[in-house]
Amino acid sequence: MKKKIALVMACAMTVASLAGCGGGSGSTSTTAAAGGETTAAAAGGETTAAAEAPAGGGEANLVMYWWGNQVRNERTQAALDKYCELNPGVSIDGQFAEWNDYWNKLATMAAGQAIPDVLQMDYMYVDQYAKSNLLVDLKPYIDNGTLDVSEISENTIASGTVDGGVYAIAAGINAPALLYNKTLLDENGITVKDNMTMDEFFALCKEVFEKTGVKTDIAYGIANSWSEYYMRSFDIVPFGDKKMNGDETSWTPFFEMYTKGLEEGWLLPPDVFAEITVGSVEQTPMVYNSTPATQSWCEFYNSNQLAAMQNAAPEGMEIGITTWPAPDPKKSAYLKSSQFFSVGVHTKNEEEAVKVLDFMINSSDANNILLGERGVPAPADIAAEVAPQLSEIDQKVTAFINDVVTPNCSPINPPQPDGASEVYDLLNRTVEKVCYGQLDAATAAAEFFTEANKIMSSK
Amino acid sequence: MKGKKNLTFRQFMCKESTAGVVFCAPFIIGFLMFMIVPMGISFYYSFCDYNILTPAVFSGAKNYIKMFTDDEVFWQTIGVTFYFAFVSVPLRLIFALIVAMILLKTTKATGFYRAAYYLPSIIGGSVAVAVLWKRMWATDGVINTLLSAIGIETSFAWLGNTNTAIWVLIVLAVWQFGSSMLIFLSALKQIPVSLYEAATVDGANKWHQFWRVTLPLLTPNIFFNLVMQMINGFLAFTQCFIITQGKPLNSTLFYTVYMYQQSFEFYNTGYGAALAWIMLVIIGLITLLLFATKKFWVYEGGF
Repeated sequence: MKKKIALVMACAMTVASLAGCGGGSGSTSTTAAAGGETTAAAAGGETTAAAEAPAGGGEANLVMYWWGNQVRNERTQAALDKYCELNPGVSIDGQFAEWNDYWNKLATMAAGQAIPDVLQMDYMYVDQYAKSNLLVDLKPYIDNGTLDVSEISENTIASGTVDGGVYAIAAGINAPALLYNKTLLDENGITVKDNMTMDEFFALCKEVFEKTGVKTDIAYGIANSWSEYYMRSFDIVPFGDKKMNGDETSWTPFFEMYTKGLEEGWLLPPDVFAEITVGSVEQTPMVYNSTPATQSWCEFYNSNQLAAMQNAAPEGMEIGITTWPAPDPKKSAYLKSSQFFSVGVHTKNEEEAVKVLDFMINSSDANNILLGERGVPAPADIAAEVAPQLSEIDQKVTAFINDVVTPNCSPINPPQPDGASEVYDLLNRTVEKVCYGQLDAATAAAEFFTEANKIMSSK
Repeated sequence: MKGKKNLTFRQFMCKESTAGVVFCAPFIIGFLMFMIVPMGISFYYSFCDYNILTPAVFSGAKNYIKMFTDDEVFWQTIGVTFYFAFVSVPLRLIFALIVAMILLKTTKATGFYRAAYYLPSIIGGSVAVAVLWKRMWATDGVINTLLSAIGIETSFAWLGNTNTAIWVLIVLAVWQFGSSMLIFLSALKQIPVSLYEAATVDGANKWHQFWRVTLPLLTPNIFFNLVMQMINGFLAFTQCFIITQGKPLNSTLFYTVYMYQQSFEFYNTGYGAALAWIMLVIIGLITLLLFATKKFWVYEGGF
């Protein structure tokens, strides 16, 4: 009897350990199968395939990691599959997470010396990761031609440059965008104009609330870039060198925006957000909630997220796009080479990882699948090639970037330093306190400034 | 005696103590590798400036000083965690005892009910249940729908109110009473029937029997459950992390979740390690305190 139990246990353990390795081996076999199909289909092209295989670096198992939404996950995975199909012997394991989890997990991966081979990077973190020697300097690969940047503008390349090294290549250009429930507004005869000032925005919120009962979500819990955007109107770049710029009163207007909304009743109450995953496109109050009291008519997101937002919206709701409001729209607005691709320094096959990166950025194959979901493609030729195939929505985004934002914006702030994520958390918690009526705007501003300064000075 | 030192290899392998060590080896190795070594490293990090991305730099007791003198949220999370542990654990034990008493009587359906009541404990700590729980207590969730079905129309945001959000977590914790219940159940079965018979002869009714016979004889089990559940209560993480994320206004921010935030979200990993060590000290003290009170209320004589 005992022997039997031991045997069963041993079997169970073997199975468990095999299952543990399943992820890697599973993807390898699917790739191999996909590769086999290609060769069979393109029977005549056998020689080219054979010639390409050794040049492609032979066997390689890579991991690509990104944050995103449903649309991005599907398209990125399809593009990676395409790469594996074109390069037999290479397998890429695609992994994804929501924005918040992404950075927690990436940090632990980095600490465990296992940062993914190819990863999505953000403007906010590129400085920190590059300076911690966790990203591969791509400059040598640009110089030897593995990575082609000839079609990417110098400004865009500069945004991924840290201390003279190129650590990240822009995956797309986007701009902050106010996504709104166009159907609702059209039905009630309300029009939205681009480049709204704050007063115009407030009037609009009030009008929507009075006519429909639907409230407004002002970047609740995700006020990170929104706060920077807003402060740009006052010529304040929040983060200085180990300190906060401005003074104890600089942030008062920012918090007043929320107290005003509360007083006039059009601001979405904070308890609504306790029930959703803040920052997830699919769970924004605009598309997720179904009663006017818990819904918002607009959301503060980015232009490239229009497709995902439309995808998450209930049937019959058309999502519109305009600029974020600001006290001075021209000063605040910026174009952002937001998402980057980088190569992790722990990769075993640097060359192959760079090739994947080049494929995602420069190849028609990949971009015909990705279709600008990460923003308008950075290389000019690819952007032009992709443009006519874009869905109606993505064409709207491109038009928004080219016609609305580009003529009316100023250069982006420098990347945020270490400590920014903690300050942003403090900011969001302060907004929470204001929305729960625990602080008035002036006290909130002073408290936030003092605390944030303390965080920055300890870095 | 001399012969003992000159064992052949075969003799050595056949010795009982050798077998014992060999069979313990997987545990010992695992314990050293996954407990002692990481604990040592974390102790070192707690005295460092460590941002997880770059190597740690020794900074003395700075993290500990900051914690006690300059971190409002730290005290807030201590408060929340104590509240949660001291409310949810006694409630859970009371609940477990009541259910155990009910299930003590054996009928044909007893087995089914025991399994059914134990189920929440197996799945209760999981992410899936936490997600379900979050939806249940939403404004348009099951709880409010049920309330309106019995005539209480409400759109109360349980999770959005600073007073009720913590109770959503407490109720979830109380619901996971299964393992305590099983321990109580087996203890109840061991109480000799003769004691109850004697009590009946002396004229004690059921109520008296419970307070004078059942409860005193259960105290060792209550003590055991209390210690174990208290430790679990202080280490609760999943519920808060999935359901509330500390919202609203940090009123549900558990200590462990704050530790996680500091370590992995704000990249203050050294500070996170220091937080972990303070939690260890707190749990140690609470356990010590419980053991110190043991002689006043735990009955340790035979039946």
